[in-house]
Amino acid sequence: MADSYWVEPDVKFVKQLKTLGGETLKKCYQCATCSVVCPISPDEKPFPRKEMIAAQWGLKDKLVGNMDVWLCHHCNDCSTYCPRGARPGDVLNAVRAYSIQQYAWPRWLGRIVPDARFWWLLLAIPVAIFLFILGLTGHLHIPEGEIEFAEFFPTLIVDIIFVPLATFWIPLVFGIGIYRFMTDIHKNAVAEGKTKRKDLNIPDFLKSVACTIPTILGHNKFSDCTENKDRYLAHILVLFSFLGLFVVTNIFFVALYILQEPGPYPIFDPIGITTPIKLLALVSGIALLIGSLLMLSNRLKDRGENIGKGSYFDWSLILVVLGLAVTGLLSWFTRLLHLSPIAYWIYFVHLVFVFCLFAYLPFSKLAHMVYRTLAMAYSRYAEREPCE
Amino acid sequence: MEMEKKLGVYICEGCGLGEALDIERLEKKVPPKIKIRKTHSIVCSPEGVQLIKEDIASEGVNTVVIAACSRRVLYDVFDFGPVIVERVNLREGVIWSHKPQDPDAEEPDELIQEMAEDYLRMGLAEAERILPAEPYQPEEPIDKRIMVLGGGVTGLSAALEVAKAGYEATVIEKGAKVGGFAAKLRKQTPSSYPYEDLQEPVIARIIKEAQAHPKIEIRTDIEVARIAGSPGLFDITFKPTGTKSAWDVMSKEEEEEILAKMAEAGEEAAAKGDEPTPDSPATILVKNPDAERFGAVILATGWKPWEPTKEAEPTPEAEGEESKGEEVKEAEGEEPKEEEPTYDHLGLGKFSDVVTNVAFEEMAAKGKVLRPSDGKPAASVAFVQCGGQGTDEDFPYASSVTSMVALKQAKYVREDNPDGKAYIFYQHMRTPGQLEYFYKSAQQDEGIFLTKADVVGVTGNGDGTLVVEAKDTLLGENIKVGVDMVVLGTGMVPITRDEPVLNFAYRQGRAFQDLDLFDGYPDSNFICFPYETRRTGFYAAGCARRAMSIQECTEDAAGAALKAIQCIESVYRGVSVHPRSGDMTLPDFFFQRCTQCKRCTEECPFGALDDDEKGTPLPNPTRCRRCGTCMGACPERIVNFPDYSIDSIGSMVKAIEVPEEDEEKPRVLIMACENDAYPALDIVGLNRLTYSPYVRIIPVRCLGSVNVVWIKDALSKGLDGILMIGCKFGDDYQCHFIKGSELADIRMDKIGEALVSLALEKERVQQVQIAIDEYDKLPGIIKEFMATIEEVGPNPFKGF
Repeated sequence: MADSYWVEPDVKFVKQLKTLGGETLKKCYQCATCSVVCPISPDEKPFPRKEMIAAQWGLKDKLVGNMDVWLCHHCNDCSTYCPRGARPGDVLNAVRAYSIQQYAWPRWLGRIVPDARFWWLLLAIPVAIFLFILGLTGHLHIPEGEIEFAEFFPTLIVDIIFVPLATFWIPLVFGIGIYRFMTDIHKNAVAEGKTKRKDLNIPDFLKSVACTIPTILGHNKFSDCTENKDRYLAHILVLFSFLGLFVVTNIFFVALYILQEPGPYPIFDPIGITTPIKLLALVSGIALLIGSLLMLSNRLKDRGENIGKGSYFDWSLILVVLGLAVTGLLSWFTRLLHLSPIAYWIYFVHLVFVFCLFAYLPFSKLAHMVYRTLAMAYSRYAEREPCE
Repeated sequence: MEMEKKLGVYICEGCGLGEALDIERLEKKVPPKIKIRKTHSIVCSPEGVQLIKEDIASEGVNTVVIAACSRRVLYDVFDFGPVIVERVNLREGVIWSHKPQDPDAEEPDELIQEMAEDYLRMGLAEAERILPAEPYQPEEPIDKRIMVLGGGVTGLSAALEVAKAGYEATVIEKGAKVGGFAAKLRKQTPSSYPYEDLQEPVIARIIKEAQAHPKIEIRTDIEVARIAGSPGLFDITFKPTGTKSAWDVMSKEEEEEILAKMAEAGEEAAAKGDEPTPDSPATILVKNPDAERFGAVILATGWKPWEPTKEAEPTPEAEGEESKGEEVKEAEGEEPKEEEPTYDHLGLGKFSDVVTNVAFEEMAAKGKVLRPSDGKPAASVAFVQCGGQGTDEDFPYASSVTSMVALKQAKYVREDNPDGKAYIFYQHMRTPGQLEYFYKSAQQDEGIFLTKADVVGVTGNGDGTLVVEAKDTLLGENIKVGVDMVVLGTGMVPITRDEPVLNFAYRQGRAFQDLDLFDGYPDSNFICFPYETRRTGFYAAGCARRAMSIQECTEDAAGAALKAIQCIESVYRGVSVHPRSGDMTLPDFFFQRCTQCKRCTEECPFGALDDDEKGTPLPNPTRCRRCGTCMGACPERIVNFPDYSIDSIGSMVKAIEVPEEDEEKPRVLIMACENDAYPALDIVGLNRLTYSPYVRIIPVRCLGSVNVVWIKDALSKGLDGILMIGCKFGDDYQCHFIKGSELADIRMDKIGEALVSLALEKERVQQVQIAIDEYDKLPGIIKEFMATIEEVGPNPFKGF
């Protein structure tokens, strides 16, 4: 048997998965209840039973670069029904966290972002950058008079920091990760017989991406879950509020640089909510707040046996999003209430959170929005599931 | 024993009997010579019982016939000391299990009434012929000492249990030291909460305790040459381990040859005999005057590791044999021999780093496990639990113990090496009871990897390490693992498989019987009577019985110890120990008419009968379990029990009234085993299920006790058919006397041939097997048999 798989268990990998929320992985005794109850697992070679034994045996190459790990939406139906309390859903969540680190570039950032010991460092980086630039440009003081954030933190400086972050940093580091990821999941799918397509055809794949988008926007997979249905609302609120805020940000970007119209637009509306664009911003902000609070409460909910409690990796993202929503709304409201200098401080903190979200995106849990999208698209490309 | 019978008949009107039956008409069926005959509204009431007691006291009634409910209920209410009590089962057997054809009729149903009358006649017939029994007291003194064979954890624990109960125990150990395999372990599987961590072996404490106990004597370097006698009176001869003795028991074949010669030489020559020597040992008929007396024996001989048989070098002759081919061999009548698999593909013998679990344990007990090949630490070890090659069978004699040993030894690997890796390839992972926690704790270890797998082979890796290749794994594909050592999870073979061990000086042979059927374990029923072997007075415990963990062995030892004590005390009181506990009756042999056919000696499931060189049976009363198989076997009908005899049952058969053929009322006799079938028939009544009113049921001790003459009696009387209902036989038998229903089946097969020669259809006599919980099948079985009888038509002997 020349095609035998040479087993080389990686005990360190097992230990790492345990720190990422998969501490129960060794409890699995392979009954496959999980694969049976999973509402979204495909019929052929279903997950997560096979992923559980691979995790127990420390077979990194069978998990990192395995698209099935990403098809899982962490409903935790499997964890609820698991007779051994092995929490397969949480184990796959840990595998995803680990995979994000593996595909991250540069590696060291991939290692410190999910490491709870370095949270202060991650926050200190934007604070230091901001203080340095503000100091350099002589803005290191609270401006007098009517609150205008641009007076304190000039829009140009914000954009000098964030535009490269969004247009250069993220595409670069993510591009590397995506390339590695796609290569791996294709290789793995071919090796494990999950697809008959031996090639990775880009136009065809993009078609699969296109047909995946409605599923993602509609949260169809979430609504298939039974045990953890609450996540549907939380996630859809957060996703759409981000989309809303993305639209708002781009409109203001256009307004500022093309229409030469700087904020905060008191000319339209002194309170600032009656224009459709301001209304969208407000609604999105509130949706983000509610969504992230719901996520928080879902995580805290007692589902028995610590199911779905998550690790620092999960919590840090929820807290950043919550921080983003709270500081965003508060900086708006404190400005309207003329609460100087509190409004400026809050605005500063808000920008720190924005920085964290952007700069650490490829290393944080937020990276799932790219990897899962790709995996779901690949699964359609591989004809593992149909295009809906 | 002759005695004047004085019968008293008491008919009950309670429980609906008075309504369903014409009691007055029933009473008239009692022969006029029986003067004492009474009906009472509730015979089991204090008044009813008082009525009987008064008759016993004032009228001298010594045999009471109670026509009421089944003999299986209220036996304590109707216990009148030495007075014989005969029960006529009118409630469960008649009115509860039969519905009147016309439910609105005011008169009792004729068929049901006839049934009741027949049962009364049958009861009276039996009551006339049975006698009370007295406890058996042997002439020689009974010894209450218990011999424990085997000084391992089971033997020592059993001795301690025996001693703590106040009896004396003698431990016989063939080795130089006691402790057995339990003394060779590094650690043992956990026996207490949380059942997760390995435990220090308990054997040292047990040895110390046993050595210090004043009621325990431990002898080492000694084994049993022969055990003669019977429970309470065992005469045991010992000899130094590995030596020959004048008292060694010969094999059955050798023994028979010598006895035949002695019979030829005549009685005188036989009686004289020669002084036995180690080269010409004594026959079983010779008694060793120097033997030691014991009351009962606990068999704790344990196990030995299973070893794969090495493939023998083919000799030229054998090759020639081979070339004949299987077909030719079969044609020549040679059966292809079932051989144990060799497992050469696993590399045992080929690589010094491939060892058995026993060898690994011994290495681990010495300290950190090192590779036998180069003395380097064994940091990665594969535990192979099955032979692979496409079957899912474990190694021979593997068990839950083997599974637990693999988990335990995997933990050794982890204990010895912080980065150690232990792989367990299994087909079955068995961790019964609380040991599931132990499995879980092993599973939790990051360095222990488990998978179900079919191990393809073990090969060298070129660098001194080994490669284990497996297919059909939980990992979904064929895998290869590089390891330092491979441990094969081989099983535990009972010592009794290959050695006679106890060396019975019994006519049926020196070893336990039917060992092949049970893979070499002494026969017992693992649910109903786990400790009882086929030899009364010998109780197996520990790994002699089945593979067990140390904790199980210590618990099992207590069970066997109690059984041995129970046996001795029963013998002391002169009653049967098991399963007819308390029975005082014994078979009585009328030797004047014995034809020395040896059938009883050979068929006794318990080897209770020896015989002299001519074949005359020599009963050993305390070995007897009172099943009556000898009575069923005897063609001369010379074996009888006081309360259960050829005559007593024969008379019951004859008491059945057979209607004329034109009445179109067939009659069928059911012989129901009183262990399962008869209670099941009672349960049928209890559940108000119904069956044909044309059957008449007689309970028997065991189908093995059914003598063919009863069948003949029944058929010549004109009964249309006989249905025998007994327990399941075969290798998962439920027969309380092990062989009874099987023997009956063989006998009935033979009677079938005899019937055909008499121009009777062999379908008229049938045997079925039933368990007590299958009572609901009985109405169907009876219905089917009645249909068969209707088909073959009435018995032509009717009216003769």
